Amino acid sequence: MFSRRSFLKTTLAASSLALTSRLAFAADWAFVENAAVGQTVYFNAWAGADNINAYIAWAGAEAEKRYGVKVEHVKITDTAEVVKRVRDEVAAGKTDGSVDLVWINGENFRAMKQEKLLFGPFAEALPNFALVDVEGKPTTRQDFSETVDGLESPWGMAQFTFFADGAKVAKPPRSMMELAAFSKANPGRVTYPAPPDFYGTTFLKQALFEQTPDRSTLYQAAEPGTAGMLTTDLFSGFLDELHRSLWRDGKQFPKTQAEVTQMVADGELLIGLTFNPNEPANLVAAGTLPASTIAWQHAAGTIGNTHFVAIPVNAKAQAGAQVFANFLLSPEAQAKKNDLKTWGDPTVLAVSKLSSEDAKMFMADAVPGSVSLPGPAVLEPHASWVGALEKAWLERYGRG
Amino acid sequence: MAGVKTSRFIQALGPIPVVGLFVAPLAVSLLFILPSLVDVTGFVSLFEHPQFWGSLRLTLFTGVISTVLAFILAMVVVVQGTSFDRADNVYMASQAGPMLALPHLAFAIGLGMLIAPTGLLSRLIASFFTGWIEPPQWQTVQDANGIGLIAALVLKETPFIVWAMSGVLSREDVKRAFAGQRSVALSLGHGERSIWLKVLLPQILPRIIWPLVAVFSYGMTVVDMALVIGPAQPPSLANLIWTDLNDGEVLANARGAAGVLVLTGIIAVLLGGAAMLVKSFQPLLHRNYAAPPQNQTAMGLSLPLWTIVKLLYFGVVLILALQSISGHWPFPRLMADQYTFKSWVRLLHDGWPLLTSLILALSTSAAALLACVFWLETKPEKFDRLMLAACALALCLPPLLIALGQYRLFLQLGLTGTASGMFLSHVLPVTAYVFIMLQGPYRGFDPRWRSVSDGVVASSWRFYFRIKLPLLKAPLLGAAAVGFAVSVAQFVSAQLAAAGRFSTLPMEAVTLASGSNRPLFAASALALMVLPLMAFLLASHFSKSRWKPG
Repeated sequence: MFSRRSFLKTTLAASSLALTSRLAFAADWAFVENAAVGQTVYFNAWAGADNINAYIAWAGAEAEKRYGVKVEHVKITDTAEVVKRVRDEVAAGKTDGSVDLVWINGENFRAMKQEKLLFGPFAEALPNFALVDVEGKPTTRQDFSETVDGLESPWGMAQFTFFADGAKVAKPPRSMMELAAFSKANPGRVTYPAPPDFYGTTFLKQALFEQTPDRSTLYQAAEPGTAGMLTTDLFSGFLDELHRSLWRDGKQFPKTQAEVTQMVADGELLIGLTFNPNEPANLVAAGTLPASTIAWQHAAGTIGNTHFVAIPVNAKAQAGAQVFANFLLSPEAQAKKNDLKTWGDPTVLAVSKLSSEDAKMFMADAVPGSVSLPGPAVLEPHASWVGALEKAWLERYGRG
Repeated sequence: MAGVKTSRFIQALGPIPVVGLFVAPLAVSLLFILPSLVDVTGFVSLFEHPQFWGSLRLTLFTGVISTVLAFILAMVVVVQGTSFDRADNVYMASQAGPMLALPHLAFAIGLGMLIAPTGLLSRLIASFFTGWIEPPQWQTVQDANGIGLIAALVLKETPFIVWAMSGVLSREDVKRAFAGQRSVALSLGHGERSIWLKVLLPQILPRIIWPLVAVFSYGMTVVDMALVIGPAQPPSLANLIWTDLNDGEVLANARGAAGVLVLTGIIAVLLGGAAMLVKSFQPLLHRNYAAPPQNQTAMGLSLPLWTIVKLLYFGVVLILALQSISGHWPFPRLMADQYTFKSWVRLLHDGWPLLTSLILALSTSAAALLACVFWLETKPEKFDRLMLAACALALCLPPLLIALGQYRLFLQLGLTGTASGMFLSHVLPVTAYVFIMLQGPYRGFDPRWRSVSDGVVASSWRFYFRIKLPLLKAPLLGAAAVGFAVSVAQFVSAQLAAAGRFSTLPMEAVTLASGSNRPLFAASALALMVLPLMAFLLASHFSKSRWKPG
């Protein structure tokens, strides 16, 4: 009984939503801005870091001041929760969904795109999208080998980065092999967060890149056969050995990157990892890490990507969400986000496209903790590798 | 006998509040679980999950060991603290109250900050003994065997069992009977220990069976506590399920639902087994009763266990308080570089979680209290069994099971992310606890008071408000305080029902656990403790003031 009724409701809801979304898209920006006034945007965003929460609070307050859009930060620990919630709501025929905007990328975006859970295309119609560096930063249109198609709006850039106290780590390891050697020399003082934590999975992807001679397979969907072979090689050829010298003998892993960072700050671990190259400098500025902190990327390159914001198909405040997404792309909001003192998240904009006054906001001197040994950015593998790696890792190391 | 003389009409309304707030939502939620019973893919995926068996093993280990240890510890504490000449056990029960009020989650957070490698304990050892400059590689929290989780569970459940046992022991009839049996047994040559083991405990045990079942069920199914202090590779079964239920994949959601059913089944089988075991052991104890034991040893344990438990609670509160106001605090320093109220300012500045928890706790405990009193006033005692059965179901079934069904129900009704959804998800367990707390004292109200007041021609309502309520003030306030505490501690059902629209203190604390701001984490744990503690202190303060007939 429930299934039939909810099917009917879903169909009805989906068709009416399709109509409204087409209308909204066709209308001009002023119409969107008008419609947005008085709306409350429930922005579902990972809330594991204070500086990020503070930035979102600032951006929300600005949006209310300037556009009359109220922003509520819904603090979440894992974006997969949001995918599930939107799917459940759409299936139950709930048209005034609980999520208006979600901070997203990678496999969560792919899932929502494939299941048609996203509103849009809207991103490239945002006035500030014209400033985005789509040529220099191709990941603003290509999210983990999945084309974005305007279904999410770029927000910030990321590149896998390591950090340590330079007083304790004189010569930072610039490759996975060097990291293994470092760990062997300092047993129990290195680890990574357990997948499916985002950072843990990235650590695996990075290792996979460095251990796989022919990277082209990693940019195609992970076939069970090839994926099985490559992950087995990675595990037996590299990870098994690495784990022996890790924190807790590689039997337990911290649950989150923030935990790793805390343990580095405490001296329990020697090397931390992050996706935001400016995070170490930000943590130095915040007093969490000492001024002797150094940050680096692997010599042969580390994984880089873009993170986005997207609007679910059943969002209640779709206009407000677009207005807020546009504000997040403004030079002012991007510069503030780029600022080490607030967040330090690199911009998605092309600074060359900005007025000289706006461009000035993005200039910064090197500060303690900023990346001193950079490496090139490597594109993310196909999103399907996330699931394949996580599953294989759990099979082999998750049993305890 | 119904207390207030009421019309038949009102009496007929009696069950409506409790059914509407509690029985019906519970029953319908459980109905919504049924489709998962026939979803084979979920079960197949569960049994194939690489962490399932490891998680199950861990959960069995932590659940069983923590319950057994807590029971033994509580028993020793009660035996040590009870004297048949004095009213010590009552004293103990009143001490257990504030400890009970501390939510499990907050306690686990504080305990973790005591015993973690960078915790206060290792800092003390480093400063006074070993001179460590780097934190030791201790496996005290998030350890593979869940020892940290067991420690937290044992310490948190012991006061509860002590409280339940003291409740039995402080009843006048029990006290008299036990004192009599004790002197008989003494004359037969039994020592104190043998009297406890063979005479008294076998009689206490059946009376605290439901509290023990609740303790066991809680230990097997707890999510929030295991998230902050339990291991992750593999995690406890409840955490594995929780992750799956919140996953972005449909198959994982089905696997999570299957996991909830399997976990419920396992608990039921284990409880059935334990019941049979107890049944077959009890005659054995009684048979040995006639013959006094050969070698009499004095009461063996002289360790002041109760004091140690109390000290640990004190330590937990202390470290949370210190950590919440600490600035940069590098290992192995015993003191932070500076102290600041920044975290408290932040917590109060973004005060919604605190306020939401407070409003929910006040409204649900008040609603539950009114609904239960309404039932007790309008329905004869013989129907209480039905209510008690529903309460037992609500308290002994895994919260994950009820929460999942409730989430599905709320989705259909459009209640996720609404204030009513939040209220309903909280009021369900609150009503169960309030009814259990209230039923005994309320039904035990001496009917002679009524006859006396009839004699002086007091009106029915006047009797109720001037005599009955004041006389029942202590149990009413106590039940409200328990309901309040239960509401504040809700995590699983609250998280699912909130749909991100609401945040309560435990939700905030769990989110902060994945971050790296320890002072804020400690402050939120402390806030989580303060609310129920205040409720208990207020309840016990107002219970004490003397009733003056007027």
